[in-house]
Amino acid sequence: METQAVNDTESTYSFSQLQEMIAAYLGSDKVPRRFKIITDTSDFFRVDYNDVVILGSVPYLMRNYAREGRFGLDDEPKYWVRKAINLINKEIKIIKLVFHEEIEAHIGEMVFKCVRSPGKEAAILDLVAGHKNFMHGISIRDTAGNIIRILDFIRGKGLDDLISKQAKNHEEFFYHHLPGYLSVYGEMVKAIQFIHEHGQKHGDIRRDHIMLDREKGVYRWIDFDYDYYHEANMFGYDLFGLGNILIFLVGGGDITIQQLHANKSAVVDKLNPNDMNIIFNNRVANIQKIYPYVPDALNYILLHFSNGANLYYDNTEQLLEDLGEIGINP
Amino acid sequence: MNTDHRECDITGMVERHIMVAVDSSDNARRAVLFVGDFFGCYDGFQVTLLHIILEPEATFFRDNEERQKWLKKKRVESKKIMEEYKHILVDAGFSEDKVNIRVEIMRAPSVADCIIKEQEVMKCCTIVIGRRGISKKEEFIFGSTSNKIIHEARKCAVLVIE
Repeated sequence: METQAVNDTESTYSFSQLQEMIAAYLGSDKVPRRFKIITDTSDFFRVDYNDVVILGSVPYLMRNYAREGRFGLDDEPKYWVRKAINLINKEIKIIKLVFHEEIEAHIGEMVFKCVRSPGKEAAILDLVAGHKNFMHGISIRDTAGNIIRILDFIRGKGLDDLISKQAKNHEEFFYHHLPGYLSVYGEMVKAIQFIHEHGQKHGDIRRDHIMLDREKGVYRWIDFDYDYYHEANMFGYDLFGLGNILIFLVGGGDITIQQLHANKSAVVDKLNPNDMNIIFNNRVANIQKIYPYVPDALNYILLHFSNGANLYYDNTEQLLEDLGEIGINP
Repeated sequence: MNTDHRECDITGMVERHIMVAVDSSDNARRAVLFVGDFFGCYDGFQVTLLHIILEPEATFFRDNEERQKWLKKKRVESKKIMEEYKHILVDAGFSEDKVNIRVEIMRAPSVADCIIKEQEVMKCCTIVIGRRGISKKEEFIFGSTSNKIIHEARKCAVLVIE
């Protein structure tokens, strides 16, 4: 069968040139017989495995799409996020195509509108270039003007995967592993402070949006394309995310009422509604009630994110100040 | 608007200047009604109705056309409510020249920051604001404008209207 390409606009590379480049990466026996050469990515569903997308004169060989890691949407394909190979230097990249999505974010019982903003993510990528605690990459417009983000591929796991099964019990985790993670946490809060000070919000702070970059040995924030309209406090939602991560870390995982009931834990009787996470009412925030060795000063920070809180953190500076009180000084 | 806001001096009062921070909500309307009821029948007061339109970053919008459409809609809404609020105050006894209208489109982390900044510039004696009556959860995530003003406004009184 004759090989052929379907070009959507004039490409800077001929089909045979691209075939040679693909062969240099995959091996000559694995060069696809048919692929599209794409310069306008407006319809990202058109971009298939083995297609070549030309961005800023660089050809990228498209590989698999990413999958959603968010709870409830586990494994849903993200067709607009693709693993790709830079055919010039053979580097692996993550390419985020433009998906103008308006999302109804559900947080506990609250619902608010979010948008996916490629421009916001591109602006933050510029801001954090060289900052070790963020993913790195560039943004470039395709021929239709779509803001495409070309991200460095991070080899490593998310923070949520790293925490599980660290120790045989919580006490061992608490004394032997948690201090190191709290130090990382402080560093990550400081990184968020950096973008806040520059008038940006992360927009989707979750524990699986912190990746350990195995090659560089640093933790990085990823995925900052979410945006939402704020009025009273631009940073509140980011702080909520930071609080959830801290509660997760100190608890060595989420501690839910359901788990405690299932384990027939006597602690259930000691808990009252004020001890629960202010938004996720089934998660315990007052971890000291579960594990009494959690010191007061650390638990005091957690209680800012509980139903019983009368005082909330307005900004990362206040949170960092309290972290400093327990010796976490990033 | 050419108002000499330095006239508002609590110690050697010439004219008291009240800022009513409003938007299109019912609680803002209640704040305007309160000011009309309480001060409308007295001389020596001037009122500035302040509407801050907090503009998101340009990247929030799909393109400039969408942004312009958003801004236009906000301006039209603002014009309508400000005229209505001015009528309320004039009907309550304020003379027309004592009711100023100020609409500012700003980018900032919070509306409260903008209101406080405007109060400092205009040197108003009092900020009047309606309370939204949001839940604790909403306040936690999105913050509360009235609470922030209560805590951070300086050199002025703050009236929060339920």
